[in-house]
Amino acid sequence: MSNLTAPPTGQKRSLAADWAARDWKRLLLTNRTVMLVALLVIVVGGFSLLSAAGLLKADYNADYLSAALINLVPLTMLALAQTLVIVSGGGGIDLSVGSIVSLAGMIFGFTYGLWGWPLVPCIIATVLFGACCGLVNGVLVAYLGYPPLIVTLATYYAMWSISLVINGQKPISTKPVQELYALSKAVELPLIGQYLPLVPLGVFIFLIPTLLVVWLIMAKTTYGRRLFAIGTNDVAAAWAGISLPRTRAAAYIGSGAISGLVAVVTVCQFASARPDAGVSGNGMALPAVTVAVLGGVAITGGIGRVAGVGLAALLVVWLNAGILIAIEGNGGTQFQLFALGVILVGSALLNGFTNRRYAGGG
Amino acid sequence: MAVTLLAQRPSAGVPRLSMTGVTKSFGGVHAIRQAEFHLMPGEVHALVGENGAGKSTLIKIASGAESFDTGQILIDGSPVTIRSAADALALRVATVYQEAQLFGQLTVAENTFLGRELTRGHRVDWAAQNEQVGRALATVGLSDEFATRKVEELSAAQQQQVSIAKALVGDARILILDEPSAILTDSEIENLFVAIRNLTAQGVSVIYISHRLDELFQIADVVTIMRDGVTLGTFDVGELSVGQIAEAMVGGEFAAAAGRQARGAAEVVLSMRELTSRRFHDVSLDLRSGEVVVLYGLVGSGVAEIAAAAYGQAPVLSGTMRLRGQPYRPTSPAQAKAQGVSMLPANRKREGLFSFQSIAFNICVGSLRLLKRLGVFTDAARERGVAASMIKTLAVKTPDAARSVSTLSGGNAQKVVLARQLVTLPDVLVLAEPTQGVDIGAKEEIHKIVDQLCERGAAVLIATSDLGEAMRIADRLIVIRNGTNFAQFAHGVGQAEVLAAASGELTREQERELARQEAI
Amino acid sequence: MSATTLTARRRERVLPPAVTGQELILIGVIALLWVLLALANPGFLAPYSIQNMLWRLAPVGIMAIGMTIIIVTAGIDISIAAILMVCSVTIAKLIAENGWNFWLAVGVSLVIGAALGAINGVLISYGRVPAIIITFGTANLFQFLGLRIFNSKTVNGLPAERGILGPGEGGRFLGLPIAFIIMVVLVAFAWYYLRHFPGGRHFYAIGDDERAAALAGVNVRRRIFLAYLVTGLLVGLAAAITIAGGTSTLDQNVGKGQELVTIAATVIGGTSIMGGRGSVLGAVLGALLVQTVSSGVTQLGWPSQLSNLFVGLFIVVAVGADLIRERRRKAKL
Repeated sequence: MSNLTAPPTGQKRSLAADWAARDWKRLLLTNRTVMLVALLVIVVGGFSLLSAAGLLKADYNADYLSAALINLVPLTMLALAQTLVIVSGGGGIDLSVGSIVSLAGMIFGFTYGLWGWPLVPCIIATVLFGACCGLVNGVLVAYLGYPPLIVTLATYYAMWSISLVINGQKPISTKPVQELYALSKAVELPLIGQYLPLVPLGVFIFLIPTLLVVWLIMAKTTYGRRLFAIGTNDVAAAWAGISLPRTRAAAYIGSGAISGLVAVVTVCQFASARPDAGVSGNGMALPAVTVAVLGGVAITGGIGRVAGVGLAALLVVWLNAGILIAIEGNGGTQFQLFALGVILVGSALLNGFTNRRYAGGG
Repeated sequence: MAVTLLAQRPSAGVPRLSMTGVTKSFGGVHAIRQAEFHLMPGEVHALVGENGAGKSTLIKIASGAESFDTGQILIDGSPVTIRSAADALALRVATVYQEAQLFGQLTVAENTFLGRELTRGHRVDWAAQNEQVGRALATVGLSDEFATRKVEELSAAQQQQVSIAKALVGDARILILDEPSAILTDSEIENLFVAIRNLTAQGVSVIYISHRLDELFQIADVVTIMRDGVTLGTFDVGELSVGQIAEAMVGGEFAAAAGRQARGAAEVVLSMRELTSRRFHDVSLDLRSGEVVVLYGLVGSGVAEIAAAAYGQAPVLSGTMRLRGQPYRPTSPAQAKAQGVSMLPANRKREGLFSFQSIAFNICVGSLRLLKRLGVFTDAARERGVAASMIKTLAVKTPDAARSVSTLSGGNAQKVVLARQLVTLPDVLVLAEPTQGVDIGAKEEIHKIVDQLCERGAAVLIATSDLGEAMRIADRLIVIRNGTNFAQFAHGVGQAEVLAAASGELTREQERELARQEAI
Repeated sequence: MSATTLTARRRERVLPPAVTGQELILIGVIALLWVLLALANPGFLAPYSIQNMLWRLAPVGIMAIGMTIIIVTAGIDISIAAILMVCSVTIAKLIAENGWNFWLAVGVSLVIGAALGAINGVLISYGRVPAIIITFGTANLFQFLGLRIFNSKTVNGLPAERGILGPGEGGRFLGLPIAFIIMVVLVAFAWYYLRHFPGGRHFYAIGDDERAAALAGVNVRRRIFLAYLVTGLLVGLAAAITIAGGTSTLDQNVGKGQELVTIAATVIGGTSIMGGRGSVLGAVLGALLVQTVSSGVTQLGWPSQLSNLFVGLFIVVAVGADLIRERRRKAKL
């Protein structure tokens, strides 16, 4: 009953007011950041206790958590891509990210692995290529009025197909590509690093810059204001003089560009440009959408914060890491699916509940 | 000028519907007080009154959409309880609202029977449904072939006829029509009247709500006039003139004079010449800096569209606009704003508010160009500063600009949307229904803001269907009727005179003559 | 005009045309493709080739019936691939490892499919959460369930041919695959139900305007619940046909991507993702088009992955045609 569900409203009372009133339940339910931090504490604390009690297959300690961050890089980046698109409203969603990752990864493989371009131009070319794929989605959605779900389903198919055919289904794993694996290794932080576990390099060269850029775009630029405006109320945005097609198409281009960068990340991680990189397993769109929704992004548009999405990704990654060593055999990956499903359904039901419970009063 | 209350018509026989002593208040404010309304079998009973006079509350009570505090409703002399739309339908009271609630993808017959399908052996009995709908359609003047057409293929007028037919299939004996003519063209209105006469001939009683007083003389038998929540009485239409009804509606008060002197003429900032679109035609006007021109017209007269055309939000088919002497034809609000024209949209919730964003966001979202820093960033400090100063200037009641705009009352929310248009002082400010759904205090304040803007040299064009507002605030008042400018009045004219012009006292010949003269 | 002539004319045309423009175009496109493919490769129209294609059409076509109903109510179901997996592995395990009778296992599959569909239905109709989010979530949950049943192993030793529902000789009636005939019967029934029963028409009203439908007295929640339940049931049947396919081993990739294939078929068939419009006939034609393209691509000796590119293009073209028609209609008013 989608159209009965209003997006969550802005907090009617301030954080401080809830704090002062000791209204913990309200604080937890209406402030997504607070809720995610609380969940994170519970997850990390819980698994640490289990670990201390010797109930896990391996230690759930700082080193393990740090190593798990390698999975955080693509997940967070793609969740941010979804965030841009979902916040832009109009039923925004991008199912095609996985295919873009595959295809852009092949482009990266060609340019860097086969044609021997220097690394930086290759990365730029790959990101630009991703942006072009996003442009196709953006034009179809924003200028021609296609439903986002359908457009990105179609481009998912088309680009998946092209990425498989483009090199005869063969991965590209020439020497330069294999050497890129160095970019995935874990490094010691400068200055204070000796006291901390090693952190995967990708966190610094891919994840943090992307987080910063998307945060700047959404929170600090005039484009961010326009994006939230069209996502909140596209009719009012038009009356306020905002170009709806241009602003919305840009969100899809951004999503494509981020997917392009993720392509570089995955090529580094696999040390190979695989034509099925982004569509194998459960694909990449589903976990990304899950993290975005868990992070408080309203599927109806206009609401979403980078901090929430980042925390949600961290929660999912560390929860998955814990599940992996808590379950015997290779059941771990299966229980990760279970956890992801429960979290998604739970947070969606919670969004609906908080809307009804707290949106009316104030 | 005192209203001459005419003798109430003699009420013979048992009324089909009687509402006696009905009172309803919303939060301590009386919407209607001791209303008396008696509908006889087979009559067309017009219900008129200014906006807010209580007409819609009264019919909502009769149709079960609204409860009431005290009073009694009788049908055919016996007391009845109407608590829901279903109750009303069971009593064969059907209401046709302005916006038809129809399913575009379904056929007319399906729409009519949705939720109460006629079946034969569990499956829909199309033949029977179409048969019944076809008969009803014939009554409202549509061919029976429409029964199998999808509703989305029909024009607005046809959809309205379908809505009426839908009510008839329910065997309505009381049919309430809420401003049925507002969106119809003249010939469509003629069809509607034919339909209504067919119904009354079959004994159906019709309550007809309209702002267009001239219509009443063509269709209504009697008229009940409401003012400030009170029913003034029921009269035979034949004994009244448009002027008299208008006078009764506005109460004969001379509300306009209070206030200020008409301002002196200055240079023309915005002019329109024979501007034509799908909703209006041949509109000509001049707007000078430092003056308020009000376009006054009934709902559906085209005022809102004319205003929107000045802001690039309504496509113009022919005619010209000039801004400061230069040709001006904006195709988007962005273009209009770049040239110093700003507009407050008519529908606050749909076209104005970004409901779950902050007040500051809502104020600044229209002026992002101004708040740019380093090419792409928003200057947050200036954003806060602008928001704070606009909140102060417009006296928006809120403790914090960072709060969600949905925490504000209607009046304050309207001020926020107005503030958005004033961040950069526009040369031309267009306001559509600036005080609709706004409490009295905020209304006064908004009018004061408009005055101040004029004093600072802005030209203000207001499109409104609120006569009181038009009277109070206009330097010049242009009455729009049937989509074109029909008459012009200066500040200080009588309300009844304006209302009469807008709702049609004059004959068509006089109209045309006047329109020709008034084309400035 | 006399009453009798009125009635006579109404009988001629009680509803908008039974076959929509989109469906006629689809039939034309499919026919054209068949002719071209037959010219390029005469083997394409060989009975075996056609029989095989029709058999493979059956599961997608059956699932597309449910998907059409769901999308008509302005919903969506991403989880059908996971339901298909759960049902398939259940049947496979029961017959291969527990020695159950095939039909008994199919019965269990139907019950499980309906139950999983009901979970979707309850969450969507009573939880008041967008269907896409809920089914994204339940897709994970159902997949977890399926993988647990697989227990990290493939299911081996399935009998090579499971007769009636299979693609082989034993699964044909008058030369047509029985699975295909079942699909045709179900489509015909669904088509008739959606067109001629009040309950069927209510799906369309809900997709058009849920609130107004509720006001008109339609039991909206119950209808939405039923749409997902029936879809689950149909997926349970599709799983039976999949298992009857004759491979001896069932691996964990079963069902993968079927949700997107089914949505693609439905959308190509002219069902509007915004709800309120669509037909099962179109959906099956859409499925046939997708099937034709994938058979055609392989028979032409092209890389089989290329068929997805065509599916993507068909979606864009089909929805685009719909958008243009919609715009023309609006411009006319």
